[in-house]
Amino acid sequence: MRKLKALWMRLRVLLAGRSEDGEFDAELESHVAMHVEDGVRAGMSAEEARRQALLRLGGAEQTRQAYRERRTLPWLENLVRDVRYALRGFRRNPVFTITAIATLALGIGASTAVFSVVDRILFRGLPYAHDDRLVSVGLVQSLEKQEFTLGGFFYEWRDNQKPFSSMTFERGVNACDLTEANPVQLQCARVAQTFLPTFGISPELGRNFLPEEDLPNGPKVALISDGLWLSRYNRDPRVLNRTIDLDDHPVRILGVLPKDFEMPRLQPADIVLPAAVDVAMQHTVNSGIGYPMWAFARLKPGVSVAEARAEMEPLYLHTQQWIPAQFREEFRLQIRSIRDRQMQDAYTAAWVLLGAVFAVLLISCANVASLFSARGAARQRELAVRSALGASRGRLIRQTLTEALVLSLAGAAAGCVLAELLLRVFIAIAPTGVPFLAAARLDLRIVLFTVLVSIVCAGLCGITPALERPRATALVARSMKSGTHARLRRVLVAAQIAISVVLLSGGSLLVKSFWNLEQQNLGMKTRGVIAVHVPLSGARYTTTQAYMDFYLRAEAALRRLPGVIAVGISDSLPPDANGWHGGTRLADMFVAGKPSTPAGTGGTVVTRNVTPGYFQVLQIPIVAGQGFTEEERRLSDHPMILSRTLAARLFPEENPVGQHIQQATYNPYFTLSGPVYTVVGVAADVKNAGLAGQDDPEYYTLRRDNADDWSAHAVIVLETTLPVSVVAPWIRTQIAQIDSTAPAEIETLTQTVNRLADRPRFETALLGFFALCGLLMAVIGLYGVIAFMAAQRTQEIGVRMALGATRMDILRLIAGEGVRLIVLGGVVGLGAALAAAQLLKSLLFHVGTHDPVSFIAVTLLLALVALAATLIPARAAMNTDPMNALRVE
Amino acid sequence: MAEKTDVWQGTLALMVLKTLQAMGPQHGYGLARRIEQTSGDRLQLNYGTLYPALLKLEQEGFIRSRWGVSENNRKAKFYELSKAGQRRVLKAAAEWEQTTEILARFLSPAHEG
Repeated sequence: MRKLKALWMRLRVLLAGRSEDGEFDAELESHVAMHVEDGVRAGMSAEEARRQALLRLGGAEQTRQAYRERRTLPWLENLVRDVRYALRGFRRNPVFTITAIATLALGIGASTAVFSVVDRILFRGLPYAHDDRLVSVGLVQSLEKQEFTLGGFFYEWRDNQKPFSSMTFERGVNACDLTEANPVQLQCARVAQTFLPTFGISPELGRNFLPEEDLPNGPKVALISDGLWLSRYNRDPRVLNRTIDLDDHPVRILGVLPKDFEMPRLQPADIVLPAAVDVAMQHTVNSGIGYPMWAFARLKPGVSVAEARAEMEPLYLHTQQWIPAQFREEFRLQIRSIRDRQMQDAYTAAWVLLGAVFAVLLISCANVASLFSARGAARQRELAVRSALGASRGRLIRQTLTEALVLSLAGAAAGCVLAELLLRVFIAIAPTGVPFLAAARLDLRIVLFTVLVSIVCAGLCGITPALERPRATALVARSMKSGTHARLRRVLVAAQIAISVVLLSGGSLLVKSFWNLEQQNLGMKTRGVIAVHVPLSGARYTTTQAYMDFYLRAEAALRRLPGVIAVGISDSLPPDANGWHGGTRLADMFVAGKPSTPAGTGGTVVTRNVTPGYFQVLQIPIVAGQGFTEEERRLSDHPMILSRTLAARLFPEENPVGQHIQQATYNPYFTLSGPVYTVVGVAADVKNAGLAGQDDPEYYTLRRDNADDWSAHAVIVLETTLPVSVVAPWIRTQIAQIDSTAPAEIETLTQTVNRLADRPRFETALLGFFALCGLLMAVIGLYGVIAFMAAQRTQEIGVRMALGATRMDILRLIAGEGVRLIVLGGVVGLGAALAAAQLLKSLLFHVGTHDPVSFIAVTLLLALVALAATLIPARAAMNTDPMNALRVE
Repeated sequence: MAEKTDVWQGTLALMVLKTLQAMGPQHGYGLARRIEQTSGDRLQLNYGTLYPALLKLEQEGFIRSRWGVSENNRKAKFYELSKAGQRRVLKAAAEWEQTTEILARFLSPAHEG
């Protein structure tokens, strides 16, 4: 407290700014006078007494100095003076100031924005206790790459496993209706009793289920989410033990989940119910393999994911017996951390972004460093003068540091504004698939970190000239020699060029990849094609007949609309990125009179059940045989159309038309009881594994006017000559006339396809942006260094010209320096870029990681821009008037 | 000079406070002389260090200052203890006694054996 009070008193004197030295002088004077009086009384002469008095004081001036330092805060006073001095210096040198601030702002802004995004993806803490110990355990196969499990496996694993301290599962989230007053549809998750304890989640209010509440006919209980507690019960604690009607069954609320609760697979969930799985039934239901579920486990301390996988493998091999023999080979056990499961391929993109932004930060730091170093070299004389006038070394260092600090803070302020803007742009252009992006906020820790990094850069480089003992020669020297600084700056510039080569080549690879993605032939028409999804509620449509009736009426109604050329119905649409589509295996297709494909080979086949109009709307050409006809819809035949790839696979040397194919089914064991299809035609290939995926073979079966061919999986496609904005309301009206409760979701196929490209577009835009930032800064750096060196050598140039050097010689002298840096940086950068391109591999589409065109283009671009940056100052040097040059200082 | 000891850090403040307590309001020079007398002239005070120390005590609120007239009719700045200063003297003196007592135990001949 006392110290604080003293500090305040001193600060007040400083702020008041008025000098009270006079008062102390008076006090000192009276002190000396009294001392002299005593001395004289003791017999000294007046003069001797005065000398003694001053001696005992330790000097009047020193005493005043000590008193002054105690009276105010000298360091603060100096700081204010240093800041004023720095600002004055910056005003005198606006180019330096603006360049430094812009560079810093760009570096700080870009890295803060990207890090704020990436942080949520890579380093976000999951709302579970010790989330790094949580893993997802399950089976994967070619049709389902996200691990899942089945009741028949789970309980055997759980009971015999060793690497986990506990294992649990969830059974997914389904829509459920709260059927009391104000009915509302909610999302209900079903989880095991061990779910919350395994994840280390404790309810905010109330308790978890008891084991006896997780039994098939146990009491109906539920936990509700914090969001539901707020929206429906206004956080009333009396909600506990209240009974609610869920899908017309009374359910008792046991507790409220914490605010940050989320399901491990990130599905939204309002209510969590006990899964109440009948363990005994798991080897009888669902063809003897049990209910599908998603298993999670907590690793025991010290057990790694790899060790857990190794330990679980024998257990998995033992349980493999439950998988029908035909697929056994296709399944694998997969164990990975929850974070990996949640983030999927966002990982690679996030690391690439982080790398890019780190590179930009490096470039900006190098730039600031070389700017400060150049400035430092130019100020050697000033420092020498100040030092000669009595400034201490510490004082000079403090002064330089203050300048770095002031500049960095200005850059940081601008950078924060830029970061906020960039972040908004990212969120606006980001695809929906990037998890948590919408929630990204500027991260203060990162702002601090980047600001600190730039202060260190500026400080280190600015401080070197002040650290060196100012040489007396600097006072008199006519030209300034600054060997070490010049070398440092050259290294920095070469490094910047190298880093921007890496950035640019990464950017150009992504741009080319994106171009390929956009330009590829989808094999179908998308312009003028509209897809209509009608999610029909299972409660109202209970039979396949009902679905068929709805869709046939819709088809007829839409066909009558003006401007509609053709209408088709399918169960799914290409290019099939994430949506459901029918599928089988090549090995399960049996051609009459031919040996079957060996089990486990041949990969997957996409299947679609379509009306004849499908080919017409999407303009998929029939390349052999013929298409489906409207007449065939009313027959009971089973016609089939193969894609060109599938036809080539099954019938490499024969005519596929007229062949008979049967599809194996497993119920639960292999049978060939399905219909025999007759191949009537071959259609051209259509992209069917997403935009970037490797195309799978495909076949089409006819969707007949027969209830067996219909289900909830149906989508209507129509070709129209009118804009979607005109047709969409008509379509809605038509659908509403058939079923007023059915909302029609209308989207053009172009939109669908575009959305698939959102992710690569996002990545390309970001990396491209950073590459350009990097290039810009590197070029500024290069220009700065060359211009500075040319200016330093003005006198030398004058001498050379006076001695007979031609203008070309001078150009060569100055530009040669730049070219050396460009070549050095370019070669190093190219090497690094070739290595770094490997990291991009999974993001690239039809572009090699060493794509020569991209690398040559980048090299040329860089060489051109960098040469321009060199030539401008070199030309200026070339035009130096030797007389003026010699007269400089 | 050899037998005259310099005033070591931190103790000057206590000496000032104690002296002001004993003598009442006093000016800087008088304080300095009095401290030297009290020490039996064994302390050699650098008068220049006294004034920043007085300023610090004043900033911390232990003493107050005002201009007055000395016994020889000379204008001088007088310092006096504040309430906080009075408390401070008692506390600091007690602490000091304890410290010296502990140190004395270490330095006593009995301890050496």
